[in-house]
Amino acid sequence: MKPARFEYAAPDSLAEAISLLEQHADDDVKILAGGQSLVPLLNMRMARPEFLIDLNRIAELQYIREEAGWLAIGAMTRKRAVEESELVRQRQPALLAATQLVGHPQIRNRGTVGGSMAHADPAAEYPALALLLGVELRVAGPGGERRIPAADFFHGYLATALEPTDVLTEVRIPVLDPGTGWSFLEVARRHGDFAMGGAGATVRLDASGKLSEVRIALFGVGAAALRLHDVERELVGEQPGEALFQDAGARASQGLEDPLSDVHASAEYRRNLARVLTVRVLEEAVGRAGGAGGREEGSR
Amino acid sequence: MSVEIPKTLEDFPNSSPRFVGRGVDRVEDPHLVTGRTEFIDNVVLPGMLHAAILRSPVAHARITGIDVSEAEKLPGVFAIVTGEDAKRWSFPPPTAPEEWGTHCMATDKVRYVGEPVAAVAAVDRYVAEDAIELIAVDYEPLEVVADPAKAMEPGSPLVIEEKGTNVMLQRVFNWGEVDEAFRDADRVFTEKFRWNRLGANPLETFGVIAQWDPVAGSLTLRASVQSATHFGLGRAAVFGLPSNKVRVIGHPHGGSFGGKGGTRGTDVTALLTRKAGGRPVKWIEDRAEYLTGGGSQSWDRHYEVSLAVKDDGRVTGLDVKLLDDMGATGECFGAINTVKPLAAFTGPYTIPVARYDLTIVATNKLPQSPYRGMGPPPHFCALEQMMDIAARDLEIDPAEMRRKNFIPKDAFPYTIASGNEYDSGDYEAVLDGALELSDYPELRERQARARAEGRCVGIGVVSAIEPGVFDWNAYAIVGVQGIGVPEGATVSIDILGKISIRVGFALEGQGQYTLATQLVADYFNVGFEDITVVPLDTFSAPPAFGPGGSRLGVALTGAVLGACEKLRAKLVRVAAGLFQMDPEQVDLVDGNLVAKGVPGVEMSMPQVVGTMLARSDLLPPDIDPRPEATYVWTAAGRTEADEEGRAKSYLTAAQAVHVVMVEVDPETGLVEILEYCVVDDCGTRLNPATVEGQTEGSIAQGIGAALLEEYVYDDQGQILTSSYMDYLLPTINEVPATKKGIVVTPSPFTPLGAKGCGEGAMHTTPAAILSAINDALVPLGARATEVPASPNRLWNLIRGAKERTAGE
Amino acid sequence: MTTQKKAISLSVNGISYEASIEPRMTLADLLRGELVLTGTHVGCEHGVCGACTVLLDGRAVRACLMLAVQADGASLTTVEGLETDGELHPIQQAFIEEHGLQCGFCTPGFLLTVHELLENSPDPSDDEVRDALGGQICRCTGYQAILRSVRLAATRLRDAQAAASSQGS
Repeated sequence: MKPARFEYAAPDSLAEAISLLEQHADDDVKILAGGQSLVPLLNMRMARPEFLIDLNRIAELQYIREEAGWLAIGAMTRKRAVEESELVRQRQPALLAATQLVGHPQIRNRGTVGGSMAHADPAAEYPALALLLGVELRVAGPGGERRIPAADFFHGYLATALEPTDVLTEVRIPVLDPGTGWSFLEVARRHGDFAMGGAGATVRLDASGKLSEVRIALFGVGAAALRLHDVERELVGEQPGEALFQDAGARASQGLEDPLSDVHASAEYRRNLARVLTVRVLEEAVGRAGGAGGREEGSR
Repeated sequence: MSVEIPKTLEDFPNSSPRFVGRGVDRVEDPHLVTGRTEFIDNVVLPGMLHAAILRSPVAHARITGIDVSEAEKLPGVFAIVTGEDAKRWSFPPPTAPEEWGTHCMATDKVRYVGEPVAAVAAVDRYVAEDAIELIAVDYEPLEVVADPAKAMEPGSPLVIEEKGTNVMLQRVFNWGEVDEAFRDADRVFTEKFRWNRLGANPLETFGVIAQWDPVAGSLTLRASVQSATHFGLGRAAVFGLPSNKVRVIGHPHGGSFGGKGGTRGTDVTALLTRKAGGRPVKWIEDRAEYLTGGGSQSWDRHYEVSLAVKDDGRVTGLDVKLLDDMGATGECFGAINTVKPLAAFTGPYTIPVARYDLTIVATNKLPQSPYRGMGPPPHFCALEQMMDIAARDLEIDPAEMRRKNFIPKDAFPYTIASGNEYDSGDYEAVLDGALELSDYPELRERQARARAEGRCVGIGVVSAIEPGVFDWNAYAIVGVQGIGVPEGATVSIDILGKISIRVGFALEGQGQYTLATQLVADYFNVGFEDITVVPLDTFSAPPAFGPGGSRLGVALTGAVLGACEKLRAKLVRVAAGLFQMDPEQVDLVDGNLVAKGVPGVEMSMPQVVGTMLARSDLLPPDIDPRPEATYVWTAAGRTEADEEGRAKSYLTAAQAVHVVMVEVDPETGLVEILEYCVVDDCGTRLNPATVEGQTEGSIAQGIGAALLEEYVYDDQGQILTSSYMDYLLPTINEVPATKKGIVVTPSPFTPLGAKGCGEGAMHTTPAAILSAINDALVPLGARATEVPASPNRLWNLIRGAKERTAGE
Repeated sequence: MTTQKKAISLSVNGISYEASIEPRMTLADLLRGELVLTGTHVGCEHGVCGACTVLLDGRAVRACLMLAVQADGASLTTVEGLETDGELHPIQQAFIEEHGLQCGFCTPGFLLTVHELLENSPDPSDDEVRDALGGQICRCTGYQAILRSVRLAATRLRDAQAAASSQGS
């Protein structure tokens, strides 16, 4: 398990990185971020780039700051920094919860926020979180910079809107509005494993206690993370409660197209997880929003 | 030579032993915690090359061509070998059953994914891996057989065509009037069980440095091997070399658990060093190689078990039908796994008659290897489920069901139906201890409360036997030649009174060097700092087998104490000569040679040793002037198997009761272990801390077996679990804290009364967890009969039960 | 195809090293093969087992999941850096006393992970310890003795800290 040969460069600046990408536009180039997914593939020779561009020396891509209702996180920020950030703890607890579900501390010490987004693993937490929270992804390329909403960024199994000469530079996460209830849960064989299924939800309640805003995202169950727009629509305006959640779970499960099947979980099992997790994240999110039918934090 | 080995610590020539029986710090540890222990991959020899092995990507195919020309051109490549070289220079290895082996590299066809096809020795591992990618192999696909039942059907593709069948062994053992017992039973219970492939997975993979001496025609192997002598004999057979031309230097190894493997890779590496003109070649198996082509896989079993039971709960007969999918060959002695259960077939129970209908089949999968327990753990998992099924039907508490059938403590030594003799035990005391420790009545109350809340909580109470101290006689019935299982130690004292213990096995992790040190320190009344343990290679060590079959603690105790006794006798005779007394008037007392009843007439050991070394001319002629002694211990009283396979095989029988409480999440099938209690009796505990470590580690492996670990193949023989992302080892999050208690009934057959305990809880834990799961599932009407009891499997069962209920 | 070797310099256990290596070489292979710091063990080479864990600027990372070139300019600690002239680090001593190892192959990775944990959290709860060690696999001990070792090490280090500060005041 030793990597095949490749050329390597570690630019010090974003501009240099983009210029390198342009120079090697005709080569098979891979960008190396935290390396926690890419290096195993290199070691197994399942990834065999000709040229590796390492972003780890670009200091300008490592930061967490608050910008008018958003957390702006540099793409090369380590997950561990997110986990330890007081700002994240205060402004977006769902990000903290999702981060702590990623691998183990040793993985989070290297793994980056941008790397997980760009890799778009269907069982990873971050792409689902991005869909759930309405994250924006800032991308720099030869033609300049653009912002891509998460809904347009993820293109299916390990696929994104990134062009070969693009660099993901920043992940912009809306801060949690007070009054919004949230939940982010997953079912894995072992703590820290990729999820067999996972879900996140955010909810808001109106003055009468009815659901005024609902967002639900699933991951690990299909070829890519997904938002449950249809299920969400059915929930808005309803009084939260066990029967409603079960109904939502059933819809989430039925609506699932081509669930994954692998050695850990069959498609049917994943369909079941879509139901179970949808119910559970709704219960928890509504509980956090102070609504009826909600469940206490940590009661699962 | 007959030597009186101390039966208890009181027999030591020491009035105040300080070490044996205490959980002393291990002598192995300072090097290990500082990263200084010389694991095989640390070793670099001058001129050493590095090997990489090209392995088959398909399960069954004829090789129609191999082109190595591109690989040969790569700078840094020194040698390439293929099946042609294997045919030229080697033979298929010894196997069980016999003659079910193939060459170390495919010669005509490949028989499993991961089988070596070619190999390269190059300047480093990176270049070697570059080179194997340049080797072009033409495969002509053959029909794959990956299912053992299909492998038995007429017309099935044959894994080894020359054999004319895929059935490696088929035999029915009858012990007593089994049909009669089932006819006379009040109730008969039958169930099928599935134990999926799993395996050892030591954290260090196998590694070897092979060096061929073309002038002497000899082979030197430095390797992380569990049993260097046995390994060397096997390699001598493979290369057609005299056994004294294969030298094995055992290196410390990072765990083994029986499944270190490495024989094929070693043989390939030996071919490479020969092809490279005798330059040393290192091959470090990587984890992908281990998982797909190493000693990683064991126990791929399909059971059908019947129990004959009387209304009062007495079990009167056991009928076990086993189909075991051995994989492509018998090269790793996987068949032994299927007959070791004979050593404890009826577990801790008095079941008077039993039948074992055993079939071992070849398929296009990796050959099975040994693993901790060597076969009985799945057997006990099935037997204990049957005990629960019977208890539930009879409305007897599972703990009382066991009690009713336990071998009573006054019945030892006790010969079980399958012929082995258990040395000693007090099974009821162990059960009572476990029930008390776990507060069993309170657990049942907790369960009742949880059930009232709609939660799925269950309790397992199971018991199993750990056969200890193996002998080859147990395996003659699957065609393993008995080559003896000796353990030798040499104890020597230098002129300053410092002591060396020379042994023939490498450090493995159970703390055996510490045990040897404890024994010698107490015997001669010296400190740990006065003793060094020296592991030797196969050309210089005393005869030795090393760890395996829960034997080394007992065997090493016998070897070391035997050597101490012989050395004492020698020192006494020398001292007696110096005192001008009869040897009977002299004794070793607290480390000094003293004249009995003559105060003041005494010599220290260094004084006696100094005299021996300075004036050997004055010693009586029949005294060997070396201040050292060697003793080779073997288990006494082992017998040949009779026509039904019955033999006194394993010397000791440790016993345990585990009480486990789990909760199953019926929506996801996830299992959480809420309580884990274990009480066991492995006789005298020579180092309680290391025994506890074996227990705790074995429980973790048992949890892996019960819930997580499984090699999955598809119907084309492709392995789907070739990394640690998919083969799931327990982490600290899956292993709960355990409550532990002990009972000690010393073995009457072993030095100091210790019983084999290294394999330990693996015999009991999978059964205990599955029992607890099944207890939890009772209200749902589901029963789990397959391990690992993965979330998906349990959810399937629960859903199936719900659908049945809904359909009624 | 040939690749240009890269010259790197790094500090390991306070000693400066220079090496010229292919970019594809992993940090684990650099440490073990080029620098002959063989206490860092390799168990899986795909980042799951944790045997190769070292400290990179004080943080526990997988040496098999970093390229050696990435360590250019970095400061590393390996198990060889814990002990000084036979004097064991309290974490090492605690692992011996609580029998927190058997074969010892995974131990260097555990020691360094525990080192990071106790630097950041001197009095961790069992849950914190489990979370920190969840990515380190030990096949021998069943982890219970490791948990006991970490508790003992934490106590010792806190006591030493308290003693040092009371002396200083």
